[in-house]
Amino acid sequence: MHIAVLAKVVPDYEVPAMDFELSNNRAHERFSRMLGLYDENAIETGIQLKAKTSSSLTIISYGTDGDVQFLRKGVAMGADKLILVKGTSDDPSVIAQNLKLAVEELGDVDLILAGQQSADMDRGIVPGILAQMLGATFIPQVGYIESKDDLWNVNQITSTGKRELEFKGLGVLSITSIPENVPRIPAVRAIFAAKKKPVVKLDGVDQGKMALQEISVEIPKSESVCEFINADDPNEAVKTLLNRLTEERFI
Amino acid sequence: MKTLIIENIDLKKIGELVTVSKQFCDAPDIIALGEGDIPGSFGKAWQFGQAVPANLVSTVSNIIKQENYEVILMSVSTLGSGLAGPLSAALAAPAVTEVTAIHPDLVVDRPVYGGKAIIQHKIESTPTILTIRRKYFEPAQLDGTTAATALDAVEDKVTLVAETHEQTDGIPLEDANVIVSGGRGIGDPENFSMLQEMAHQLNGAVGASRGAVDEGWASPTKQIGQTGKIVAPSVYFAVGISGASQHLAGIANSKCVVAINKDEDANIFNRARFGVVCDYKKIVPILTQAIMEGK
Ligand SMILES: Cc1cc2nc3c(=O)[nH]c(=O)nc-3n(C[C@H](O)[C@H](O)[C@H](O)COP(=O)(O)OP(=O)(O)OC[C@H]3O[C@@H](n4cnc5c(N)ncnc54)[C@H](O)[C@@H]3O)c2cc1C
Repeated sequence: MHIAVLAKVVPDYEVPAMDFELSNNRAHERFSRMLGLYDENAIETGIQLKAKTSSSLTIISYGTDGDVQFLRKGVAMGADKLILVKGTSDDPSVIAQNLKLAVEELGDVDLILAGQQSADMDRGIVPGILAQMLGATFIPQVGYIESKDDLWNVNQITSTGKRELEFKGLGVLSITSIPENVPRIPAVRAIFAAKKKPVVKLDGVDQGKMALQEISVEIPKSESVCEFINADDPNEAVKTLLNRLTEERFI
Repeated sequence: MKTLIIENIDLKKIGELVTVSKQFCDAPDIIALGEGDIPGSFGKAWQFGQAVPANLVSTVSNIIKQENYEVILMSVSTLGSGLAGPLSAALAAPAVTEVTAIHPDLVVDRPVYGGKAIIQHKIESTPTILTIRRKYFEPAQLDGTTAATALDAVEDKVTLVAETHEQTDGIPLEDANVIVSGGRGIGDPENFSMLQEMAHQLNGAVGASRGAVDEGWASPTKQIGQTGKIVAPSVYFAVGISGASQHLAGIANSKCVVAINKDEDANIFNRARFGVVCDYKKIVPILTQAIMEGK
């Protein structure tokens, strides 16, 4: 069996709002780059599934040559190889078409995993578009996956609990975070070994853009002024806090 | 513009989408999912019973084509996320997810970079698919009910084997006026009960950051933030939460944020109205006791 995981390299998603800045309407290039957080959950899920089903695992990405060094972390976590489709579009439909090229290049993919949302575009839409383009089943917010004969059995985390779902054939699943798929930290030896694993590069296409025009990207101003309550004496602090909350009619 | 709402039967979710639809039309149509009457008054209405979004794509896209809908509205949820991408590809329709504001002439705002920036798009063709972030639009009041045409999904790609709803004792997070949320700083699962007790005294609900959910201290349904629940209580207590932008994205419309954190440089203090720099273990029990005594 062959599992593919879609992963995207993004600017540091932990930069606090105060330090965040834009250049050319995108995150400033001075921020370090890394794998998206949910993409790492998807890789972790894929690696666990690979072990249980004796599958091979390929990481697929659409991006630039410079992303390869960061994608190698996913290989060090336990993937077998990398396939990069080269391009720079942020358009979800263009991205999905390029990912589809990689899936077709591999030819024998049985299951495709992706992160719930990329850590830069916050959209959660690329996996669903790709699924439709491939004629595959799309299920978002998946936690657990099991392979049962010719069926996939998955748990989807909903806002009120979970749904256990089953399907046959090619599926694209976007992975949410659960304690069981917190990404492993690769060992130093694995990081070195990952440098030797194969990387296939494909030239991307830049067509089929969505009919959306980008008007502006702006950083909203934050106006909150925090009133610090002295906590040297916790009893006093509690009294002050409750007084202030009642005075301002919050409680 | 001819507008279609696709939503589970849920007063607030449908209400919010009806509010959004007013920017496009007088009376939207609806495809409702679930059992029971469809609340509110709609032009045309269709209804699926319990259904898995993956099985609805072709039926729904046929309806959109036949009826020439121009704007399709869903809220951000497993339903909206399950349908937005596939429908966009099936209809070659531009889709914008997680919309937080709508301006005239199909100009919409959505957050990027974990909510640290807002991108504004002009949508240049219809049909277009929008998923709307919860709690950014006041739910419209829905009077009466609308009779619907029952629909069957034509595909059965996915089988629903079982569905479990978590028991919540007390008020659901989205409806709570007071929320007490714990993060990784809580340190161990036992101590979440301290927050539970405080929330109980305030007639509120307990939430969590992704940090606490990843640790397994709180169920994923309690996660608040960009990829968790969006809430807008009067008071939001953030206890042992650093205040990552992705967490703040879930509380943007909260009226008053109270931060309890032992690190005075924690980003949460940039969003908080009141801040207490302190070990939460010292302050939360006293706070709970004082609230109890004050009642
Ligand atoms: C695409 C994407 C989506 C995301 N979606 C979400 C989301 O929906 N919700 C979410 O929460 N996160 C989300 N995140 C994760 C987010 O970036 C942070 O990693 C997460 O919010 C951190 O959780 P935390 O504040 O509990 O943990 P930490 O950042 O580890 O903070 C713990 C805090 O506790 C304080 N502390 C420690 N001990 C004590 C004590 N005894 N008393 C008081 N304070 C103490 C520390 O000073 C620290 O500030 C998302 C990330 C990405 C990339």
